[in-house]
Amino acid sequence: MSDPNSIVYVVDDDASVRNSVGSLLRSVGLRAELFGSTEDFLSAARPEIPGCLVLDVRLPGMTGLELQGEIGRAGIGIPIVFVTGHGDIRMVSRAMKAGAVEFLTKPFRKQELLAAIHQALDRDRARREQEAKLCALRSRFERLTSREREVLHFVVAGLTNKQVAGKLGLSEITIKIHRGHVMQKMEADSLAGLVQMAGKLGMHSHR
Amino acid sequence: MVRPWGIALSFVAMALVATLLLQRLFPYPFLFLFFPAVMASAWFGGMSAGLLAVVASTVLVDYFFVPPFHSFAINATDGTYFAAFVVCALVASWVSSSKKQSEEALREARDRLEIRVAERTAELERSNAELRRSMQEHEIAEQTLRKTQADLAHLSKVMTMGELTCSIAHEVSQPLAAVVTNGHACLEWLSAAPPDVGEARTAAERIIRDGTRAGVVLGRIRALVKKEAPTRDWLDMNEVIRELGVLLRDEAARAGVSLRLDLATDLPRVKGDRIQLQQVVLNLAVNGLDAMRGTTGRPRELLICTAKESSAAILIQVRDSGAGLSAEIAAEIFRPFFTTKPQGIGMGLPISRSIVESHQGRLWATPLSGGGSLFQFTVPIGSRDHDE
Repeated sequence: MSDPNSIVYVVDDDASVRNSVGSLLRSVGLRAELFGSTEDFLSAARPEIPGCLVLDVRLPGMTGLELQGEIGRAGIGIPIVFVTGHGDIRMVSRAMKAGAVEFLTKPFRKQELLAAIHQALDRDRARREQEAKLCALRSRFERLTSREREVLHFVVAGLTNKQVAGKLGLSEITIKIHRGHVMQKMEADSLAGLVQMAGKLGMHSHR
Repeated sequence: MVRPWGIALSFVAMALVATLLLQRLFPYPFLFLFFPAVMASAWFGGMSAGLLAVVASTVLVDYFFVPPFHSFAINATDGTYFAAFVVCALVASWVSSSKKQSEEALREARDRLEIRVAERTAELERSNAELRRSMQEHEIAEQTLRKTQADLAHLSKVMTMGELTCSIAHEVSQPLAAVVTNGHACLEWLSAAPPDVGEARTAAERIIRDGTRAGVVLGRIRALVKKEAPTRDWLDMNEVIRELGVLLRDEAARAGVSLRLDLATDLPRVKGDRIQLQQVVLNLAVNGLDAMRGTTGRPRELLICTAKESSAAILIQVRDSGAGLSAEIAAEIFRPFFTTKPQGIGMGLPISRSIVESHQGRLWATPLSGGGSLFQFTVPIGSRDHDE
């Protein structure tokens, strides 16, 4: 269970609840950081390791749901486990639609809370891996020359070398060489792999 | 008129007999015995009987005792003596009858007065009884009124508490959640290898603290809802308001309102009923929160302050930044059953005012120029020095 390479952020204005959750998390070997308000959480420095947020829906100042919106807009992307004294359906559905992992009502069972937290941490870990991959892909794409990017654009759009040569006013041989460089720099082992990468990079195929 | 004649003649006859008898023992006749007869006749028979007695005595004295005896003739030498007798008899008759008359007039007046006094006494007793009855009726009516007022106050209090149900539930469920979570943590620390007794102890201590906290909250709410006869204790209004803070803070957060308490540091104690005064502040605060439900474009803030109004009273203010009071509403809000809330019964403010007035204070409302309204009430400090 123990995972020192992740952090659970607990935001609850009630010190008793906050400390009890902190104690429970530490008892199962999780690293917990406690905050009394959403503002405190936002202004705190967060290390770049997998994490999740255990958030009270109703907080003074910015509420949990508002913080969820704020986090979404800021692209922080940390998974949220909501806890509340009494959730109404509207609140729950709003939170879940906005991507909350789980919505627990107090007093929550240990298993429920821990399961939700692990699910959230897994989600964050996966998200971080995905992001790391995308990052690597971007840096590879950055290495392409502008001509190579043009070639990549047409190739993933499904054009043959000859058609690309026609579009760019170059010889088919030159296109072939550029295409070879693109495959090499992007570390793609097939055309299908290259198309997938282009998709992840957000390139749209259009003739 | 028979009796005065009879009286006069009998007295005179008695005097005659007595004088005749005495004449046998003494050489001189005792004529003065006729004067008592005349006086007695005048006394018992009136003026006419007196005069009759005088005439009868005169005739008899002349006949029996004035020489020549046994004749009505009078010797010239005895004329003066006889005349003196007649005059004396007349005077005696007059004195006696007039004395009798004035005495009778006096008695009559006394009797009349006694009757008047008796009449007046009866009259007074009647009106006294009536007064007592109406006082009794008044007292019964007042008791009924007090009971009705108390019932209404209790109803309104319970309804106000009803509005706070969510906050109350929150205030209790928070510590309970902490208790459950700490319990889990405590077990977890104990079942670790090796067990972390220090952490487990901390968790157990927190369980005790949070359980106690939940109990305190419940106790406070029960005290607030319980129906009790009003009491008068020396109170620190700041403390009274701070106790309410627990409930209000949460209710305010729920309404998106920031609650601020601005409590005077040197507030004198006042004599009053803690629960009743708490009810007033709670009422005003809940009204303030309700008034801000639709407020947009300016901060929603509920401010409760205390201050010393003068040397004789303290002032408690509840200020909101809500919809404020229109002139029509301001004129009506203290009227029973007037309400602007869909679920209200319109008793909160009238009851609050009657509570404040029963503490010899005043409660009034003022619209604020920038929107919102200000409700404030005074509580007199009282003449006695505050005892701890």
